[in-house]
Amino acid sequence: MNTKRVLAIFEKDIKDFFKNTSLIIMPIVPIFLAIFYNALFDDFIPLFTIFIIIGMVFAGVTSYCIMIMMAEEKEKNTLRTLMMSPASFLDIIVGKSLVATVMTVLTLLISLLILDFYHIFNIQTILGSVLSLLFFILLGIGIGLFAKSVATASVYIMPIIFIFGFSPMFDLFGLEEGHFVNVIFDNLPVSLLMHTSEDGSWMALILITIWVVVAYLFALFSYNKNKNDD
Amino acid sequence: MDYVININNLSKSYGNTQALKNITLQVPKGQIFGLLGPSGSGKTTMIKTLTGELKKTTGEIQVLSMAEEQLSTPNYKAKIGVLSDNSALYERLSIYDNLKLTCKLYDVSLNEIDTILEKVNLIDDKKKVVSKLSKGMKQRVMLARTLIHKPDLLFLDEPTSALDPGNVDKIHQILRELNEEGTTIFLSTHNMEEATNLCDCVGLLYKGIIQEMDHPDHLRYQHSTNQFEVETHDGELIKIENKPENSGQIEQLIASGRVKRMYTDDPTLGEVFLKVTGKDLGS
Repeated sequence: MNTKRVLAIFEKDIKDFFKNTSLIIMPIVPIFLAIFYNALFDDFIPLFTIFIIIGMVFAGVTSYCIMIMMAEEKEKNTLRTLMMSPASFLDIIVGKSLVATVMTVLTLLISLLILDFYHIFNIQTILGSVLSLLFFILLGIGIGLFAKSVATASVYIMPIIFIFGFSPMFDLFGLEEGHFVNVIFDNLPVSLLMHTSEDGSWMALILITIWVVVAYLFALFSYNKNKNDD
Repeated sequence: MDYVININNLSKSYGNTQALKNITLQVPKGQIFGLLGPSGSGKTTMIKTLTGELKKTTGEIQVLSMAEEQLSTPNYKAKIGVLSDNSALYERLSIYDNLKLTCKLYDVSLNEIDTILEKVNLIDDKKKVVSKLSKGMKQRVMLARTLIHKPDLLFLDEPTSALDPGNVDKIHQILRELNEEGTTIFLSTHNMEEATNLCDCVGLLYKGIIQEMDHPDHLRYQHSTNQFEVETHDGELIKIENKPENSGQIEQLIASGRVKRMYTDDPTLGEVFLKVTGKDLGS
């Protein structure tokens, strides 16, 4: 990996990010949600609402940003130009991931600052957050490369936000314990992240790591599909 | 001779379709080589194989003394420039920002931006956002981006397609200057004028086979009927075979003052292509 090239791609993408209204609006949504929850719950904010905001940041900012950036590079043929330059694919995805990471961290910090809610972060939750960030980045890269256009990628983001972003909300559906829907949603990365906060579960961290591996394989599959024109 | 591109028996297939068939060619350093052929003849496949974007099916390729397996390395990519008709720029960024990215990716000084923009006549527009530029200007920015790292070998896939004649002339002028500075150029085109005006050697590519390959003038001469056609003021058309022993007849005609026009019947490259392949370049 070449740091100079990574930073060049980061610099280009961050400029492009602030000129792209469809991207710049995404960090505003969870921040607005945080302001809304803060006003709604006076004394006690339920844990799942915090993790809905965290899920919203990961799905709506991390995945969406990188997904749209990759899909746009692919659709407009600029990805080919980047790939024909001395920059390796790793340089390209790390450069792009940095933009998504910076925006994610900023949005998370602002949202949690508004909610004044830091005690949920133990060591497992911090590690889990890093792994979740990686998962949502890889998921975004995979879908961005898989989608044929920005429009298609924008459609794909909806189930990502609802399934992966809002997974802690499924507890509210009142399904009986052990119901397969509950089991599935309970084992999605954001729900697992919530478990790390609730009981410091290491098992949840291992499961998030498995999700990272799955997302990596998906991103690799999408990349290989795009690697050459054969 | 120092060959920049050395291809031996190259074939490329997509499933059952053979896009390139047993192509053998060498491009010497400093040459402008043109692949002339209609759409679907295999030109883009050839360029993509040489730039490492496609894997060959059989045969041997060596570009800039590098074997096929090295064509995807950063070292190779730093030595070539690629411009195709579907190359693109970052529309929301300025010309300067687009070139700045390229400079940083290729480890080139940012001072080169002004130099290259002078060359493509866009220095006064460098702060303009790309989305506001005309197609011709965008093509010149892309050419500037392709040239900014001073590549040893330039691949151009239909570089002037859909451009107006004024912009085509500007781009041809830049390419000639670049070639005079020593850059080898490999271009594909379906435009016979482009091939005639620019290339030192042209390969007529049809159905994945190079049907003929030579200097454009030689190709035209080879397919000429070798006749002078003399049109007189009284409307007569006299055909004289282009042989030294006929020079006296031509001198007499000129001296008689009857000659209105006189020309050879050398065909255009398009006509040569039609004669060789039975296919019109435009179709």
